Amino acid sequence: MPATRRGLRDLLAGLVILLTVVPIGGALFLAVVHGDSPCILCWAQRTSMVLIALTGLFVLRFGPKPRYLGMAVLLGAWGTFMAFRHWALHMARDVGQGFAASIFGAHTYAWAWLIHWVVLLAIGVLLMFLGRNGEETWPREPGRAGRFAMPLFLVVVAANAVQAFVTTGPPPFLGQGDPVRFSFDPARWVWSTEELSGALSLRGSWTIPDPDASGVDPDPARGPLANLRTLPVSGWERLEATLAGTPTGFSFDPVRGRYLVVDEAYAVHVLDGALGRSLHRVVIDPSYSVDLTPLAGAAFLGDTLAVLSTNKSYVLLRADADADPDREWRRFLETDGAVTELRRGRFATVRARQMYVMSLAFDPSTDELVTVAVPSPRHPRLVVSRFARGDLQLSSEFEPRPGPGLELRGAERSLAEYLVTGAAVVDGRLYALSAAYSTLLVIDLEAKVVSAAWAIPELEGPVGLATRGDELLVLQADGRIAALDRPVGATTTD
Amino acid sequence: MEFLNFLIILWIAWLVWRRPERESLAFGLLVLSSILMALLFLVGTHTSFIPGVNL
Repeated sequence: MPATRRGLRDLLAGLVILLTVVPIGGALFLAVVHGDSPCILCWAQRTSMVLIALTGLFVLRFGPKPRYLGMAVLLGAWGTFMAFRHWALHMARDVGQGFAASIFGAHTYAWAWLIHWVVLLAIGVLLMFLGRNGEETWPREPGRAGRFAMPLFLVVVAANAVQAFVTTGPPPFLGQGDPVRFSFDPARWVWSTEELSGALSLRGSWTIPDPDASGVDPDPARGPLANLRTLPVSGWERLEATLAGTPTGFSFDPVRGRYLVVDEAYAVHVLDGALGRSLHRVVIDPSYSVDLTPLAGAAFLGDTLAVLSTNKSYVLLRADADADPDREWRRFLETDGAVTELRRGRFATVRARQMYVMSLAFDPSTDELVTVAVPSPRHPRLVVSRFARGDLQLSSEFEPRPGPGLELRGAERSLAEYLVTGAAVVDGRLYALSAAYSTLLVIDLEAKVVSAAWAIPELEGPVGLATRGDELLVLQADGRIAALDRPVGATTTD
Repeated sequence: MEFLNFLIILWIAWLVWRRPERESLAFGLLVLSSILMALLFLVGTHTSFIPGVNL
Protein backbone atom coordinates (compact mmCIF):
# COMPACT_ATOMS: atom_id res chain seq x y z
CA MET A 1 0.00 0.00 0.00
CA PRO A 2 1.44 3.43 -0.89
CA ALA A 3 2.76 5.42 2.06
CA THR A 4 0.35 8.27 1.35
CA ARG A 5 -2.62 5.95 1.45
CA ARG A 6 -1.39 4.33 4.65
CA GLY A 7 -0.95 7.75 6.19
CA LEU A 8 -4.47 8.72 5.20
CA ARG A 9 -5.81 5.55 6.77
CA ASP A 10 -3.92 6.20 10.01
CA LEU A 11 -5.14 9.80 9.99
CA LEU A 12 -8.72 8.59 9.69
CA ALA A 13 -8.18 6.10 12.51
CA GLY A 14 -6.74 8.93 14.59
CA LEU A 15 -9.80 11.06 13.94
CA VAL A 16 -12.07 8.19 14.97
CA ILE A 17 -10.07 7.74 18.18
CA LEU A 18 -10.16 11.49 18.82
CA LEU A 19 -13.93 11.62 18.31
CA THR A 20 -14.44 8.56 20.49
CA VAL A 21 -12.28 9.75 23.35
CA VAL A 22 -12.88 13.51 23.54
CA PRO A 23 -16.56 14.30 23.01
CA ILE A 24 -18.07 10.82 23.47
CA GLY A 25 -15.81 9.66 26.26
CA GLY A 26 -15.65 13.16 27.72
CA ALA A 27 -19.41 13.12 28.10
CA LEU A 28 -19.07 10.04 30.28
CA PHE A 29 -16.53 11.90 32.40
CA LEU A 30 -19.02 14.73 32.88
CA ALA A 31 -21.66 12.20 33.95
CA VAL A 32 -19.58 10.19 36.42
CA VAL A 33 -17.59 13.06 37.91
CA HIS A 34 -20.07 15.94 37.73
CA GLY A 35 -23.39 14.09 37.57
CA ASP A 36 -24.24 15.66 34.21
CA SER A 37 -27.16 14.01 32.41
CA PRO A 38 -27.94 14.64 28.74
CA CYS A 39 -31.38 15.80 27.74
CA ILE A 40 -33.15 14.09 24.84
CA LEU A 41 -31.62 16.54 22.35
CA CYS A 42 -28.14 16.05 23.80
CA TRP A 43 -28.53 12.28 23.48
CA ALA A 44 -29.33 12.61 19.78
CA GLN A 45 -26.27 14.78 19.21
CA ARG A 46 -24.03 12.43 21.13
CA THR A 47 -25.45 9.45 19.22
CA SER A 48 -24.79 11.29 15.97
CA MET A 49 -21.13 11.68 16.92
CA VAL A 50 -20.98 8.00 17.81
CA LEU A 51 -22.46 7.11 14.41
CA ILE A 52 -19.93 9.33 12.64
CA ALA A 53 -17.08 7.56 14.44
CA LEU A 54 -18.70 4.26 13.53
CA THR A 55 -18.86 5.30 9.89
CA GLY A 56 -15.13 5.99 10.12
CA LEU A 57 -14.68 2.39 11.24
CA PHE A 58 -16.66 1.28 8.20
CA VAL A 59 -14.23 3.20 5.99
CA LEU A 60 -11.23 1.71 7.78
CA ARG A 61 -12.61 -1.75 7.35
CA PHE A 62 -14.31 -1.68 3.97
CA GLY A 63 -12.74 1.26 2.15
CA PRO A 64 -14.02 4.75 1.23
CA LYS A 65 -17.15 3.57 -0.52
CA PRO A 66 -19.54 6.29 -1.63
CA ARG A 67 -22.32 5.12 0.69
CA TYR A 68 -20.07 5.43 3.73
CA LEU A 69 -18.81 8.86 2.75
CA GLY A 70 -22.37 9.90 1.95
CA MET A 71 -23.57 8.65 5.32
CA ALA A 72 -20.81 10.59 7.08
CA VAL A 73 -21.81 13.78 5.27
CA LEU A 74 -25.49 13.21 6.10
CA LEU A 75 -24.70 12.64 9.77
CA GLY A 76 -22.48 15.72 9.85
CA ALA A 77 -25.14 17.88 8.24
CA TRP A 78 -27.93 16.51 10.43
CA GLY A 79 -25.77 16.89 13.52
CA THR A 80 -25.01 20.50 12.64
CA PHE A 81 -28.73 21.15 12.35
CA MET A 82 -29.51 19.35 15.60
CA ALA A 83 -26.90 21.26 17.54
CA PHE A 84 -28.00 24.59 16.08
CA ARG A 85 -31.63 23.81 16.81
CA HIS A 86 -30.67 22.98 20.39
CA TRP A 87 -28.37 25.99 20.75
CA ALA A 88 -31.11 28.26 19.41
CA LEU A 89 -33.16 27.59 22.54
CA HIS A 90 -30.55 29.44 24.57
CA MET A 91 -28.39 31.60 22.32
CA ALA A 92 -30.48 34.73 22.86
CA ARG A 93 -30.50 34.48 26.65
CA ASP A 94 -28.64 36.86 28.92
CA VAL A 95 -24.93 36.60 29.70
CA GLY A 96 -23.89 33.39 31.40
CA GLN A 97 -27.28 31.74 30.97
CA GLY A 98 -27.74 28.39 29.29
CA PHE A 99 -28.64 24.76 29.87
CA ALA A 100 -26.63 22.18 31.78
CA ALA A 101 -22.86 21.76 31.62
CA SER A 102 -20.46 24.15 29.96
CA ILE A 103 -16.86 23.54 28.93
CA PHE A 104 -14.45 26.47 28.58
CA GLY A 105 -17.44 28.80 28.77
CA ALA A 106 -19.44 27.10 26.01
CA HIS A 107 -22.31 24.74 26.66
CA THR A 108 -22.26 21.21 25.29
CA TYR A 109 -24.71 21.96 22.46
CA ALA A 110 -22.37 24.70 21.20
CA TRP A 111 -19.51 22.20 21.20
CA ALA A 112 -21.72 19.67 19.40
CA TRP A 113 -22.31 22.22 16.65
CA LEU A 114 -18.56 22.86 16.33
CA ILE A 115 -17.69 19.16 16.27
CA HIS A 116 -20.22 18.33 13.57
CA TRP A 117 -19.08 21.30 11.55
CA VAL A 118 -15.44 20.23 11.84
CA VAL A 119 -16.47 16.70 10.83
CA LEU A 120 -17.89 18.11 7.60
CA LEU A 121 -14.66 20.01 7.00
CA ALA A 122 -12.57 16.91 7.70
CA ILE A 123 -14.63 14.83 5.28
CA GLY A 124 -14.08 17.45 2.60
CA VAL A 125 -10.32 17.41 3.17
CA LEU A 126 -10.15 13.62 3.15
CA LEU A 127 -12.15 13.49 -0.07
CA MET A 128 -9.71 15.91 -1.69
CA PHE A 129 -6.81 13.63 -0.87
CA LEU A 130 -8.63 10.61 -2.23
CA GLY A 131 -8.38 12.28 -5.64
CA ARG A 132 -8.78 10.14 -8.71
CA ASN A 133 -7.99 6.96 -6.79
CA GLY A 134 -11.14 7.33 -4.74
CA GLU A 135 -12.73 4.28 -6.28
CA GLU A 136 -9.96 1.97 -5.13
CA THR A 137 -10.77 -0.50 -2.39
CA TRP A 138 -8.69 -0.15 0.72
CA PRO A 139 -7.21 -3.19 2.55
CA ARG A 140 -9.79 -4.94 4.66
CA GLU A 141 -7.41 -5.10 7.61
CA PRO A 142 -7.65 -1.76 9.43
CA GLY A 143 -3.99 -1.39 10.42
CA ARG A 144 -2.52 -0.82 13.86
CA ALA A 145 -4.39 2.40 14.64
CA GLY A 146 -7.62 0.91 13.35
CA ARG A 147 -7.16 -2.20 15.45
CA PHE A 148 -6.84 0.05 18.47
CA ALA A 149 -9.81 2.20 17.47
CA MET A 150 -12.30 -0.65 17.18
CA PRO A 151 -12.14 -2.13 20.71
CA LEU A 152 -11.82 1.38 22.12
CA PHE A 153 -15.02 2.32 20.32
CA LEU A 154 -16.79 -0.75 21.70
CA VAL A 155 -15.74 0.01 25.27
CA VAL A 156 -16.76 3.68 25.11
CA VAL A 157 -20.09 2.91 23.45
CA ALA A 158 -20.79 0.16 26.01
CA ALA A 159 -20.21 2.70 28.77
CA ASN A 160 -22.56 5.10 27.00
CA ALA A 161 -25.13 2.33 26.83
CA VAL A 162 -24.87 1.93 30.59
CA GLN A 163 -25.41 5.66 31.08
CA ALA A 164 -28.32 5.59 28.65
CA PHE A 165 -29.90 2.74 30.59
CA VAL A 166 -29.51 4.61 33.86
CA THR A 167 -30.80 7.99 32.68
CA THR A 168 -33.34 7.06 29.98
CA GLY A 169 -34.26 3.48 30.76
CA PRO A 170 -35.13 0.57 28.49
CA PRO A 171 -37.69 1.00 25.67
CA PRO A 172 -40.29 2.45 25.56
CA PHE A 173 -38.74 5.02 27.90
CA LEU A 174 -36.69 7.73 26.24
CA GLY A 175 -34.68 10.85 26.99
CA GLN A 176 -36.14 13.75 28.91
CA GLY A 177 -36.30 17.51 28.41
CA ASP A 178 -35.04 18.20 31.92
CA PRO A 179 -33.11 15.12 33.07
CA VAL A 180 -32.18 14.53 36.69
CA ARG A 181 -28.60 14.36 37.99
CA PHE A 182 -26.72 11.16 37.08
CA SER A 183 -26.50 8.60 39.83
CA PHE A 184 -25.58 4.92 40.15
CA ASP A 185 -28.28 4.60 42.83
CA PRO A 186 -31.35 2.98 41.18
CA ALA A 187 -33.57 4.81 43.64
CA ARG A 188 -32.57 8.06 41.90
CA TRP A 189 -33.28 6.88 38.36
CA VAL A 190 -36.15 8.56 36.54
CA TRP A 191 -37.52 6.88 33.42
CA SER A 192 -40.12 8.74 31.43
CA THR A 193 -42.06 8.95 28.17
CA GLU A 194 -43.14 12.56 28.74
CA GLU A 195 -41.47 13.75 25.53
CA LEU A 196 -43.96 11.77 23.48
CA SER A 197 -46.76 14.14 24.50
CA GLY A 198 -47.46 17.45 22.79
CA ALA A 199 -48.52 18.55 19.34
CA LEU A 200 -46.26 18.45 16.30
CA SER A 201 -45.43 21.84 14.87
CA LEU A 202 -43.09 23.36 12.33
CA ARG A 203 -42.55 26.66 14.15
CA GLY A 204 -44.15 26.13 17.56
CA SER A 205 -44.68 29.32 19.49
CA TRP A 206 -43.33 31.30 16.52
CA THR A 207 -46.42 30.50 14.44
CA ILE A 208 -47.95 33.95 14.73
CA PRO A 209 -50.54 35.03 12.17
CA ASP A 210 -50.19 38.51 10.72
CA PRO A 211 -52.38 40.94 12.63
CA ASP A 212 -55.62 41.56 10.79
CA ALA A 213 -58.58 43.57 12.02
CA SER A 214 -60.70 43.07 8.92
CA GLY A 215 -62.48 39.96 10.10
CA VAL A 216 -63.23 40.89 13.70
CA ASP A 217 -66.71 41.02 15.20
CA PRO A 218 -67.59 44.74 15.63
CA ASP A 219 -70.62 44.20 17.89
CA PRO A 220 -69.90 45.39 21.46
CA ALA A 221 -72.79 43.32 22.75
CA ARG A 222 -70.79 40.17 22.07
CA GLY A 223 -67.54 41.41 23.62
CA PRO A 224 -65.94 39.93 26.74
CA LEU A 225 -66.99 42.83 29.01
CA ALA A 226 -70.65 42.89 30.01
CA ASN A 227 -73.07 45.75 30.57
CA LEU A 228 -71.06 48.50 28.90
CA ARG A 229 -72.53 51.94 28.46
CA THR A 230 -72.54 53.42 24.99
CA LEU A 231 -70.30 56.32 24.08
CA PRO A 232 -72.09 58.23 21.31
CA VAL A 233 -70.33 59.79 18.34
CA SER A 234 -70.76 63.53 18.67
CA GLY A 235 -69.79 64.33 15.11
CA TRP A 236 -68.11 63.11 11.97
CA GLU A 237 -65.17 64.60 10.10
CA ARG A 238 -63.33 63.35 7.07
CA LEU A 239 -59.78 62.88 5.96
CA GLU A 240 -59.75 65.05 2.85
CA ALA A 241 -56.12 64.55 1.86
CA THR A 242 -55.32 61.89 -0.69
CA LEU A 243 -53.37 58.96 0.73
CA ALA A 244 -51.39 56.28 -1.06
CA GLY A 245 -53.39 53.56 0.65
CA THR A 246 -55.74 52.76 3.52
CA PRO A 247 -54.84 54.69 6.68
CA THR A 248 -53.47 52.59 9.53
CA GLY A 249 -52.37 55.08 12.21
CA PHE A 250 -53.36 58.52 13.47
CA SER A 251 -52.25 61.22 15.89
CA PHE A 252 -52.87 64.92 16.64
CA ASP A 253 -50.33 67.59 17.60
CA PRO A 254 -52.06 69.92 20.08
CA VAL A 255 -49.29 72.51 19.89
CA ARG A 256 -49.31 73.09 16.16
CA GLY A 257 -52.78 71.82 15.40
CA ARG A 258 -51.60 69.30 12.77
CA TYR A 259 -52.28 65.63 12.20
CA LEU A 260 -50.05 62.65 11.56
CA VAL A 261 -51.38 59.81 9.41
CA VAL A 262 -49.65 56.66 8.21
CA ASP A 263 -51.02 54.32 5.58
CA GLU A 264 -50.57 50.80 4.33
CA ALA A 265 -48.23 51.99 1.54
CA TYR A 266 -45.57 53.06 4.09
CA ALA A 267 -46.46 56.70 3.53
CA VAL A 268 -46.24 59.18 6.40
CA HIS A 269 -48.39 62.29 6.05
CA VAL A 270 -48.34 65.44 8.14
CA LEU A 271 -51.65 67.18 7.49
CA ASP A 272 -52.93 70.62 8.34
CA GLY A 273 -55.69 71.29 10.85
CA ALA A 274 -58.37 70.90 8.21
CA LEU A 275 -57.12 67.41 7.33
CA GLY A 276 -57.05 68.46 3.71
CA ARG A 277 -53.59 69.77 2.91
CA SER A 278 -50.38 67.79 3.12
CA LEU A 279 -47.65 69.68 4.96
CA HIS A 280 -45.11 66.90 4.58
CA ARG A 281 -45.10 63.51 2.99
CA VAL A 282 -42.55 60.71 2.76
CA VAL A 283 -42.77 57.07 1.76
CA ILE A 284 -40.44 55.06 3.96
CA ASP A 285 -38.30 52.36 2.40
CA PRO A 286 -39.28 49.34 4.52
CA SER A 287 -36.29 47.23 3.49
CA TYR A 288 -32.49 47.26 3.42
CA SER A 289 -32.27 48.24 7.07
CA VAL A 290 -34.39 47.59 10.15
CA ASP A 291 -37.24 45.91 8.32
CA LEU A 292 -40.72 47.29 8.61
CA THR A 293 -43.91 45.30 8.34
CA PRO A 294 -46.99 47.42 7.55
CA LEU A 295 -47.16 50.68 9.47
CA ALA A 296 -49.71 50.50 12.25
CA GLY A 297 -49.25 53.43 14.62
CA ALA A 298 -48.22 57.07 14.77
CA ALA A 299 -47.52 59.60 17.50
CA PHE A 300 -46.15 63.11 17.92
CA LEU A 301 -43.21 63.36 20.31
CA GLY A 302 -43.13 67.11 20.27
CA ASP A 303 -41.61 67.97 16.90
CA THR A 304 -40.55 64.39 16.32
CA LEU A 305 -42.80 62.09 14.34
CA ALA A 306 -42.84 58.49 15.56
CA VAL A 307 -44.25 55.76 13.36
CA LEU A 308 -44.47 52.11 14.26
CA SER A 309 -44.87 48.97 12.17
CA THR A 310 -46.71 45.87 13.30
CA ASN A 311 -43.43 44.07 14.09
CA LYS A 312 -42.58 46.78 16.63
CA SER A 313 -39.95 48.41 14.45
CA TYR A 314 -40.05 52.18 14.70
CA VAL A 315 -38.91 55.16 12.68
CA LEU A 316 -38.37 58.63 14.09
CA LEU A 317 -38.72 61.50 11.63
CA ARG A 318 -38.58 65.26 11.78
CA ALA A 319 -39.65 68.01 9.46
CA ASP A 320 -36.45 69.66 8.29
CA ALA A 321 -36.35 72.38 5.68
CA ASP A 322 -32.62 71.77 5.28
CA ALA A 323 -32.94 68.02 4.73
CA ASP A 324 -30.31 66.64 2.37
CA PRO A 325 -32.13 64.78 -0.45
CA ASP A 326 -29.02 62.75 -1.27
CA ARG A 327 -28.64 61.59 2.32
CA GLU A 328 -32.33 60.77 2.67
CA TRP A 329 -32.58 58.94 -0.66
CA ARG A 330 -31.50 55.71 0.95
CA ARG A 331 -34.27 55.95 3.56
CA PHE A 332 -37.26 57.15 1.56
CA LEU A 333 -38.84 55.83 -1.60
CA GLU A 334 -40.48 59.23 -2.00
CA THR A 335 -40.05 62.47 -0.11
CA ASP A 336 -41.11 66.08 -0.32
CA GLY A 337 -37.49 66.96 0.45
CA ALA A 338 -38.20 68.47 3.85
CA VAL A 339 -38.15 65.45 6.18
CA THR A 340 -35.19 63.78 7.89
CA GLU A 341 -35.07 60.30 9.37
CA LEU A 342 -33.58 60.56 12.87
CA ARG A 343 -33.50 56.94 13.87
CA ARG A 344 -34.81 53.52 12.99
CA GLY A 345 -34.89 50.65 15.46
CA ARG A 346 -36.87 47.89 17.10
CA PHE A 347 -38.74 47.81 20.37
CA ALA A 348 -37.77 44.78 22.43
CA THR A 349 -40.43 43.44 24.77
CA VAL A 350 -40.69 40.64 27.29
CA ARG A 351 -44.34 39.83 27.89
CA ALA A 352 -45.30 41.02 24.40
CA ARG A 353 -42.55 39.03 22.70
CA GLN A 354 -43.77 37.10 19.64
CA MET A 355 -46.77 39.43 19.45
CA TYR A 356 -47.57 42.12 16.92
CA VAL A 357 -48.91 45.62 17.62
CA MET A 358 -51.36 47.86 15.77
CA SER A 359 -51.14 51.06 17.78
CA LEU A 360 -48.72 53.61 19.21
CA ALA A 361 -49.26 56.34 21.79
CA PHE A 362 -47.04 58.87 23.53
CA ASP A 363 -47.33 59.75 27.21
CA PRO A 364 -45.80 63.23 27.64
CA SER A 365 -46.10 63.11 31.43
CA THR A 366 -43.66 60.19 31.69
CA ASP A 367 -41.92 60.74 28.36
CA GLU A 368 -42.73 57.22 27.24
CA LEU A 369 -44.04 55.58 24.12
CA VAL A 370 -46.80 53.06 24.66
CA THR A 371 -47.88 50.05 22.62
CA VAL A 372 -50.65 47.51 23.08
CA ALA A 373 -49.91 44.01 21.79
CA VAL A 374 -52.32 42.18 19.51
CA PRO A 375 -53.27 38.81 21.01
CA SER A 376 -52.80 35.71 18.86
CA PRO A 377 -53.96 32.11 19.27
CA ARG A 378 -50.45 31.25 20.45
CA HIS A 379 -50.24 34.16 22.85
CA PRO A 380 -53.73 35.19 23.98
CA ARG A 381 -52.69 38.16 26.06
CA LEU A 382 -53.35 41.88 26.09
CA VAL A 383 -50.03 43.47 26.97
CA VAL A 384 -49.31 47.16 27.47
CA SER A 385 -45.64 48.02 26.96
CA ARG A 386 -43.99 51.34 27.77
CA PHE A 387 -40.67 52.49 26.35
CA ALA A 388 -38.52 55.34 27.64
CA ARG A 389 -38.11 57.97 24.99
CA GLY A 390 -34.54 58.61 26.05
CA ASP A 391 -33.11 55.23 25.09
CA LEU A 392 -36.21 53.65 23.53
CA GLN A 393 -35.82 50.64 25.80
CA LEU A 394 -38.61 48.87 27.67
CA SER A 395 -39.39 50.63 30.93
CA SER A 396 -42.43 48.67 32.10
CA GLU A 397 -44.93 46.16 30.87
CA PHE A 398 -48.14 44.69 32.22
CA GLU A 399 -51.31 42.82 31.42
CA PRO A 400 -54.23 44.97 32.56
CA ARG A 401 -57.04 43.32 34.46
CA PRO A 402 -60.64 44.47 34.73
CA GLY A 403 -61.01 47.10 37.42
CA PRO A 404 -63.82 47.55 39.93
CA GLY A 405 -67.23 47.70 38.31
CA LEU A 406 -66.19 45.84 35.18
CA GLU A 407 -67.37 42.31 34.68
CA LEU A 408 -66.46 39.63 32.18
CA ARG A 409 -69.35 37.78 30.59
CA GLY A 410 -67.98 34.47 31.77
CA ALA A 411 -64.95 32.78 33.22
CA GLU A 412 -63.83 31.75 29.75
CA ARG A 413 -63.88 35.33 28.45
CA SER A 414 -60.79 37.52 28.52
CA LEU A 415 -59.56 41.03 27.76
CA ALA A 416 -57.27 39.32 25.26
CA GLU A 417 -60.26 39.10 22.92
CA TYR A 418 -59.90 42.79 22.23
CA LEU A 419 -57.77 43.88 19.31
CA VAL A 420 -56.46 47.38 19.89
CA THR A 421 -55.89 49.37 16.69
CA GLY A 422 -55.65 52.85 18.18
CA ALA A 423 -54.19 54.29 21.36
CA ALA A 424 -53.65 57.65 23.03
CA VAL A 425 -52.58 58.75 26.51
CA VAL A 426 -54.07 61.63 28.50
CA ASP A 427 -53.47 62.33 32.19
CA GLY A 428 -52.06 58.91 32.98
CA ARG A 429 -54.91 57.10 31.24
CA LEU A 430 -54.33 54.98 28.18
CA TYR A 431 -57.28 55.09 25.81
CA ALA A 432 -57.12 51.89 23.82
CA LEU A 433 -59.64 51.41 21.06
CA SER A 434 -60.45 47.87 20.03
CA ALA A 435 -61.70 47.14 16.53
CA ALA A 436 -62.99 43.86 17.91
CA TYR A 437 -66.30 44.57 19.66
CA SER A 438 -65.92 48.33 18.97
CA THR A 439 -64.92 49.01 22.55
CA LEU A 440 -62.91 51.80 24.13
CA LEU A 441 -60.80 50.60 27.06
CA VAL A 442 -59.60 53.20 29.54
CA ILE A 443 -56.50 51.78 31.21
CA ASP A 444 -55.07 53.33 34.36
CA LEU A 445 -51.32 53.18 33.73
CA GLU A 446 -50.53 53.55 37.41
CA ALA A 447 -52.97 50.97 38.78
CA LYS A 448 -52.57 48.72 35.71
CA VAL A 449 -56.30 48.07 35.47
CA VAL A 450 -59.00 48.77 32.94
CA SER A 451 -60.77 51.44 34.92
CA ALA A 452 -63.58 51.94 32.43
CA ALA A 453 -64.82 50.65 29.10
CA TRP A 454 -67.32 52.01 26.61
CA ALA A 455 -69.17 50.52 23.71
CA ILE A 456 -69.05 52.57 20.49
CA PRO A 457 -71.33 50.64 18.13
CA GLU A 458 -71.28 53.32 15.44
CA LEU A 459 -67.66 52.61 14.49
CA GLU A 460 -66.71 50.75 11.33
CA GLY A 461 -63.12 49.63 10.97
CA PRO A 462 -61.26 51.91 13.40
CA VAL A 463 -57.53 52.12 12.63
CA GLY A 464 -56.28 54.99 14.78
CA LEU A 465 -57.03 57.09 17.83
CA ALA A 466 -56.03 60.65 18.70
CA THR A 467 -56.89 63.17 21.38
CA ARG A 468 -57.87 66.75 20.58
CA GLY A 469 -58.68 68.79 23.64
CA ASP A 470 -61.54 67.05 25.41
CA GLU A 471 -62.29 64.94 22.37
CA LEU A 472 -61.22 61.58 21.11
CA LEU A 473 -60.89 61.24 17.36
CA VAL A 474 -61.27 57.82 15.81
CA LEU A 475 -59.91 57.41 12.30
CA GLN A 476 -61.58 54.67 10.30
CA ALA A 477 -60.19 52.74 7.35
CA ASP A 478 -62.70 54.51 5.07
CA GLY A 479 -61.21 57.91 5.98
CA ARG A 480 -64.06 59.06 8.18
CA ILE A 481 -63.22 60.41 11.62
CA ALA A 482 -65.58 59.98 14.56
CA ALA A 483 -65.41 62.68 17.24
CA LEU A 484 -66.29 61.58 20.77
CA ASP A 485 -66.39 63.33 24.10
CA ARG A 486 -63.45 61.91 25.97
CA PRO A 487 -64.74 60.02 29.03
CA VAL A 488 -62.93 60.49 32.32
CA GLY A 489 -65.21 58.54 34.66
CA ALA A 490 -63.86 55.67 36.70
CA THR A 491 -66.56 53.20 35.83
CA THR A 492 -68.90 52.86 32.93
CA THR A 493 -71.16 49.96 33.68
CA ASP A 494 -74.87 50.26 34.35
CA MET B 1 -34.92 4.20 23.34
CA GLU B 2 -31.45 5.74 23.46
CA PHE B 3 -30.33 2.62 25.31
CA LEU B 4 -31.73 0.46 22.51
CA ASN B 5 -29.90 2.52 19.94
CA PHE B 6 -26.58 2.07 21.73
CA LEU B 7 -27.16 -1.68 21.76
CA ILE B 8 -27.70 -1.55 18.00
CA ILE B 9 -24.50 0.46 17.60
CA LEU B 10 -22.58 -2.06 19.66
CA TRP B 11 -23.91 -4.79 17.41
CA ILE B 12 -22.83 -2.89 14.31
CA ALA B 13 -19.35 -2.26 15.69
CA TRP B 14 -18.99 -5.92 16.55
CA LEU B 15 -19.97 -6.90 13.03
CA VAL B 16 -17.47 -4.45 11.52
CA TRP B 17 -14.67 -5.66 13.75
CA ARG B 18 -15.32 -9.38 14.00
CA ARG B 19 -17.74 -10.28 11.20
CA PRO B 20 -16.65 -8.15 8.20
CA GLU B 21 -18.37 -10.60 5.83
CA ARG B 22 -21.69 -9.20 7.20
CA GLU B 23 -20.92 -5.77 5.75
CA SER B 24 -24.36 -5.28 4.22
CA LEU B 25 -26.14 -6.16 7.45
CA ALA B 26 -23.87 -3.80 9.35
CA PHE B 27 -24.59 -0.95 6.97
CA GLY B 28 -28.32 -1.61 7.08
CA LEU B 29 -28.19 -1.42 10.86
CA LEU B 30 -26.17 1.79 10.60
CA VAL B 31 -28.96 3.34 8.53
CA LEU B 32 -31.57 2.06 10.98
CA SER B 33 -29.66 3.49 13.94
CA SER B 34 -29.29 6.85 12.19
CA ILE B 35 -33.02 7.00 11.50
CA LEU B 36 -33.80 6.12 15.12
CA MET B 37 -31.44 8.86 16.29
CA ALA B 38 -33.09 11.39 13.99
CA LEU B 39 -36.58 10.35 15.10
CA LEU B 40 -35.65 10.68 18.76
CA PHE B 41 -34.39 14.18 18.09
CA LEU B 42 -37.63 15.09 16.34
CA VAL B 43 -39.56 13.74 19.32
CA GLY B 44 -37.52 16.02 21.54
CA THR B 45 -38.29 19.04 19.36
CA HIS B 46 -41.97 18.27 18.80
CA THR B 47 -43.04 21.80 19.68
CA SER B 48 -40.97 23.39 16.92
CA PHE B 49 -38.92 21.67 14.24
CA ILE B 50 -37.30 24.92 13.12
CA PRO B 51 -35.28 26.82 15.72
CA GLY B 52 -37.25 29.28 17.79
CA VAL B 53 -35.55 32.31 16.33
CA ASN B 54 -36.35 34.66 13.49
CA LEU B 55 -35.76 33.23 10.05
